[in-house]
Amino acid sequence: MAKRPSDPPPPVNPLARSTLLAENAGLRTRLEEAEDTLRAIRSGEVDAFVVESAAGLQVYNLQGQDADANRIRGEMLAQVSDAVIAVDDQTHITYVNAAAERLYAATASQCLGRAVSDIYQALWPTPQDQAAETAALAERGEWRGERVHLTHDGRELSVELGVTVLRDSCGRPAGRLAVIRDVAERKRHENRVLVSEIRYRRLFEAANDGVLIIDPQTRKIIEANPFMTRLLGYTHGQLIGKELYQIGLLKDEAASQEMVRMLQWTSQVRYDDLPLKTRDGRHQDVEVVANLYDENDRPVIQCNIRDITGRKRSEAHVGMLMAEVNHRAKNLLAVVQVVASQTVKHGDPATFAARFSERIGSLAAGQDLLVNNQWKGVEVSELVEAQLAHFKDLFGTRVLLLGPPAQLTAGAAQGIGMALHELATNAAKYGALSDGAGRVHITWQVTADPEPGFAMSWLEEAGPRVAAPGRAGFGQVVIGRIAEASVQGRAEVNYEETGLSWRLSTSSSNVLIDTENRSL
Amino acid sequence: MNLAVDFDAFPRRPRILIVEDEAMLAFALEEFLTDAEFEISGVAGRLENALAMIEIGGFDAAILDANLAGVSAGPAAAALRTRGLPFLVLSGYMASQHHVDFVGAVCLQKPCPSDHVVRTLLSLLPGGGGRTVS
Repeated sequence: MAKRPSDPPPPVNPLARSTLLAENAGLRTRLEEAEDTLRAIRSGEVDAFVVESAAGLQVYNLQGQDADANRIRGEMLAQVSDAVIAVDDQTHITYVNAAAERLYAATASQCLGRAVSDIYQALWPTPQDQAAETAALAERGEWRGERVHLTHDGRELSVELGVTVLRDSCGRPAGRLAVIRDVAERKRHENRVLVSEIRYRRLFEAANDGVLIIDPQTRKIIEANPFMTRLLGYTHGQLIGKELYQIGLLKDEAASQEMVRMLQWTSQVRYDDLPLKTRDGRHQDVEVVANLYDENDRPVIQCNIRDITGRKRSEAHVGMLMAEVNHRAKNLLAVVQVVASQTVKHGDPATFAARFSERIGSLAAGQDLLVNNQWKGVEVSELVEAQLAHFKDLFGTRVLLLGPPAQLTAGAAQGIGMALHELATNAAKYGALSDGAGRVHITWQVTADPEPGFAMSWLEEAGPRVAAPGRAGFGQVVIGRIAEASVQGRAEVNYEETGLSWRLSTSSSNVLIDTENRSL
Repeated sequence: MNLAVDFDAFPRRPRILIVEDEAMLAFALEEFLTDAEFEISGVAGRLENALAMIEIGGFDAAILDANLAGVSAGPAAAALRTRGLPFLVLSGYMASQHHVDFVGAVCLQKPCPSDHVVRTLLSLLPGGGGRTVS
């Protein structure tokens, strides 16, 4: 391989200086003669010239059309923006145009007569590439391709070039002509395009929205992303070439035509809620936004399809919850209405405000527990603690809780909660919590035999002596028949001298959350 | 206005079935209807109980909560219609939220003043329950 290119002219060996000077002078003379000749040829002053070669004398006719053609050819080569370099069969440079001077940073006079390897060195990616070029030139007389040129001033150029074998009038190879284009900018651009393509392809492939590209002329799908397959159940191949109505996205062909027609006017068409059927017959709600775009002067329609089934389900759920909250709120107001009228009916007017607000407080405590549990039920121990919050200092000493984990339904929690409130109020006024000594045992069990049951009891002991109340107040109704109705069970109250006892029992299916499905 | 039953016009007390899952409300309905000289034939808090009681009969009209422990009382309404028994729907739902079986039924929204319930009930009974309905 040729030596590494360096700055022309090459370093001068002082010993050969005189020889070189003489040779230089000879070359300069020849060059000047050659330039004169070329000038004469280009200006059409020469009709023909004769070249002496090993094969004998060759006459090159430059007359008439040939001369014109050559001149025009020369002009064209000078004008083209690609670099043009011609070499003789010894690979010495015989011609460079202005673009080649700029590309290789060497003037024509520096280049002419020099070995091309002094100006640049060609680098092939592999030895096979070099062999392929050599073979192509030998067989076909031309080669096109890309390679890297390492210039004499140390730059690496990415070039695209076409090489043609120049032949003399007898058809023998007399040199080569290379037309060279710097493709660094194009390479950078291609790289940017590639990166961009990869990036947007990834977005397209990974999108959780369907994307369809449609040809507005034929209204047929020309591209579809993988999400469309997941959404509709059609394979990519089945989607391509179909119209929107054929995949259930619009109801018929007329609707397809109408969408395209509207797009010409508005550039965007939007369908907020389209019901569509998937290939396997599933119902799917989608939102479709179609845009008309220009893709390199070619109009395309891009359709973005969003699955809104989840959103619609969630909207319906919110609507249902709102209705349910409204229903519960009004039910609760009706309960408050009853509590108010009953408190007035049975109580001392002087204590009405206090009694009424205590009872409302009890209802509110139950609501808090339900809301904290998303209305899924209330743990018995939490219900007891909430309804006896006034006595929490006595927990573990005079108020003793014992029972397994168990979740009460909303209805049972409200009934039992109010009963516990009335029991606690009564105990604080007249029973075991009215002095410093009494105790309350609150216990509950979940039983299996003879059938799944739930039982709860409130047993007072060591308090003041107890006597049955003279007239039935609202408190008795709450711990009695209202408690019974709310659990669909039995309530039993005994006023023993040692303390009040209250026992509630029912089937567990009436009051406990079935963790499988019963939620309210 | 006297809301008690006029026995000269209505030979016996009108009998009412209460279908209501909220124990406190069922109690209050029972109490004020009894005070207004109605007879309570039964109280059902669950759909299956209500359907059983409708099957047995023995009442002149029913008060129906629309939702029984999370279950629509629609089938109870349908059963009452089949037997030609009048009923009023008393619920926290707005009329627009009701089950299709309640369409066309007389509806009252909770909370509702007790005398309003009594008046509406009387208007449903044959001959106004023996009273003039204002």
